[in-house]
Amino acid sequence: MLLQNKNFFQIFSIPEAYDLDPVLLAENYRELQAQVHPDRFANASEAEKLQAVKSTSVLNDAYETLRSPQGRAAHLLQLRDVDVSKVSQSDLSPALLFEQIQLREELEDIPRDEKSLNKLDHMRKQIEEKVRDCQKLFVKNSNTGQLLRAKSNYYEMQYLFKLLSDMDAIEEDLLGY
Amino acid sequence: MALLQISEPGGITTQTERKRAVGIDLGTTNSLVAARCGDSVETLPDSQGRHLLPSVVRYLPEGQPALTGYQALDGLLTDPLNTIVSVKRLLGKNGDEISDNSSFLTGRFVVDQTNDALVITTVAGDKQPLEVSADILRVLSERAESYLSGPLDGVVITVPAYFNDAQRQQTRDAARLAGLKVLRLLNEPTSAAVAYGLDSGDQGNVVVFDLGGGTFDVSILSLQKGVFQVLATGGDTNLGGDDFDDKLAQWILEQSGANSELDPGERNALLHLARQMKHDLSEKDPIDVSYADWSGSLDNEQYARITANLIDRTIKVCRRVLRDAKLSIAQINNIVLVGGATRMPVIRNQVQKLFQREPLVSIDPDKVVAIGAGIQADVLIGNKTADSFLLLDVNPLSLGIETMGELVEKIIPRNTTIPVARTQEFTTYKDGQTVMLIHVLQGERELVSDCRSLARFEVRGIPPMVAGAAKIRVTFQIDADGLLSVDAKELSTGTSTRIQVKPSYGLGSNEIENMLKESQENAQSDMKARALKESLIEAEQLLEALESAIAVDGDLLTDDEALKLSEAGAALKKALQTENSREIHRLTEKLNGASEGFAAKRMDVQIVDALRGESIDTMSQDGK
Repeated sequence: MLLQNKNFFQIFSIPEAYDLDPVLLAENYRELQAQVHPDRFANASEAEKLQAVKSTSVLNDAYETLRSPQGRAAHLLQLRDVDVSKVSQSDLSPALLFEQIQLREELEDIPRDEKSLNKLDHMRKQIEEKVRDCQKLFVKNSNTGQLLRAKSNYYEMQYLFKLLSDMDAIEEDLLGY
Repeated sequence: MALLQISEPGGITTQTERKRAVGIDLGTTNSLVAARCGDSVETLPDSQGRHLLPSVVRYLPEGQPALTGYQALDGLLTDPLNTIVSVKRLLGKNGDEISDNSSFLTGRFVVDQTNDALVITTVAGDKQPLEVSADILRVLSERAESYLSGPLDGVVITVPAYFNDAQRQQTRDAARLAGLKVLRLLNEPTSAAVAYGLDSGDQGNVVVFDLGGGTFDVSILSLQKGVFQVLATGGDTNLGGDDFDDKLAQWILEQSGANSELDPGERNALLHLARQMKHDLSEKDPIDVSYADWSGSLDNEQYARITANLIDRTIKVCRRVLRDAKLSIAQINNIVLVGGATRMPVIRNQVQKLFQREPLVSIDPDKVVAIGAGIQADVLIGNKTADSFLLLDVNPLSLGIETMGELVEKIIPRNTTIPVARTQEFTTYKDGQTVMLIHVLQGERELVSDCRSLARFEVRGIPPMVAGAAKIRVTFQIDADGLLSVDAKELSTGTSTRIQVKPSYGLGSNEIENMLKESQENAQSDMKARALKESLIEAEQLLEALESAIAVDGDLLTDDEALKLSEAGAALKKALQTENSREIHRLTEKLNGASEGFAAKRMDVQIVDALRGESIDTMSQDGK
């Protein structure tokens, strides 16, 4: 089964690279959905329905993975036989850990009231800048075969995205959603 | 038929007869059925020209058939204990959850202690909520069958986007009980977007604000080139027009100083008055009110204050969904209003204020959901081949499992495009442990007690090993209807278990079978003829589809596969003469199974072709 292919870039017939064209990805995704979605098989046999559900699930997973900056990085590393699920001490430099602890403390120090929304916003911009830097390094390192460094960039990205999502949660709390 | 669709994506030209497919909006207060009538899809009226069917069933003693719809309405005042309203609020709920809704409910409830399912005691015996829903579905399907002059080939039933797994499952079961083939459960806001979107051919982002009788949904969809993709959805399954009536009823009692100890008939009369006032306020402002020996007046401004809390809840959900969709108000191109309750000026004003845009209301908000479902049913059954469209929906609630300390670990977050499958590996925590209990939950909260329990199951037969050595891989699959199934595999031995998810709610599949049997016995001969006809249609479709598929792609088959297919096909053809529906069905399933590998191969070829046509061109345009 083609869609069971583990290389998500191949599924969408796009170049295997971190920087991708999101419009092309979305177009190819819709094109494939139109072929395999269970709605195309609503009146079909159970076997085909099941097949369609499975194919579409893989397709959705592939799309989500490639669309996500973190997911895409992890996938590229996996394709180069780097297992990101196991973190070893050497992947994380003391400098990186120290910076993350500082950022965490900075977030903790922001008072939890509505006046802090600006502060949160300011901090978010700062983190987003860091994410962009980190992504550039990831591209450079993965392209030049420095996979251990790329792996470390990936973990840094992961820390930063986790921080951003925690900031979202705090903001939602403050806004009362 | 899918195999046929693959071989001729441009359209089925040899079609001799249109198939009968309808869309059903199974609402809290009213239900509708819609079907294609010539060029457009319209809701179907009853013999007296009424399109809405009140979702009310009155049960009668001594084997008399139940009354449904308008015929049952009188019973609300004269026979409230046997007249069931708003049953949609009860679907998939257990005893605890019902107390939230108690003020809307008539009838006597008993919670079955063995499975925590809810039962309504009536003169015609105990009724499960889904049986009441099935009674409503039967009336609608009879209406459609007489209109379309023949049995239905399939239906699309709409559900609130925010319905959880239990509520969806029960809706599906109710349809099964009513003898209907469900092509798809369709989310109501998505359905409304289809009704609007297809006419306009618009591109862009649409917010659907759906305030029904008992449920509230907001969805944001992106429309592009015939694909409706739901970006985010949210809502409240315990908020609807009924709650506005309830607030008004309380207000009337306070203002009039009347006795608030009401019997069920008096209570229904008061709610009826409140509903009438709500309707009048949409036409007239202010209105005169009188109750018992009190009279006064009410305007929309006052009404907005009385219901401020409810209105705030709807606005909050809108903001939440915008956030989940990662869109700002400026990026919204259209607002669609759905549900009778959106006729209220207090709601329209708030929605307009929030989105700074006039909402679309050109399609009757009571009918728009059914119409969208009718369009979708027509496409799914394979009638409509031109400008076919695709709906990509999401799961409304996060799915997770219980971990140590009564915490929930999310496995599939909300607003993930479905169908979706995720796997998770588990291990044992004790030496020699052979059984593992997995508890599946739905909801956004962190504590198990704050989420909805969907299923508990045991993985058995784990080989005894030291703690942490065994690996059990569990796959959670949500299908296109938003329904969950689970598979578990023990990795060291490779034994796979398809887990029968024992629902923590409602009915097991045996109980459904039994209820189905009972209802079949009531109309046995009818059902028998129908079953035979269905099995014949099913078999003929499969044979036809397979033949044309082999004609196109026969070279994909190995000799062995081709032989197996032709043997299974011959056996089925022979059985067609026997009029034995069970045997025909069995052999159809067998042929289906035999064609599984062929279907997969053909889908691969199809995908490769699709990409060759489109994406390579696009890439070269980019100059790469």
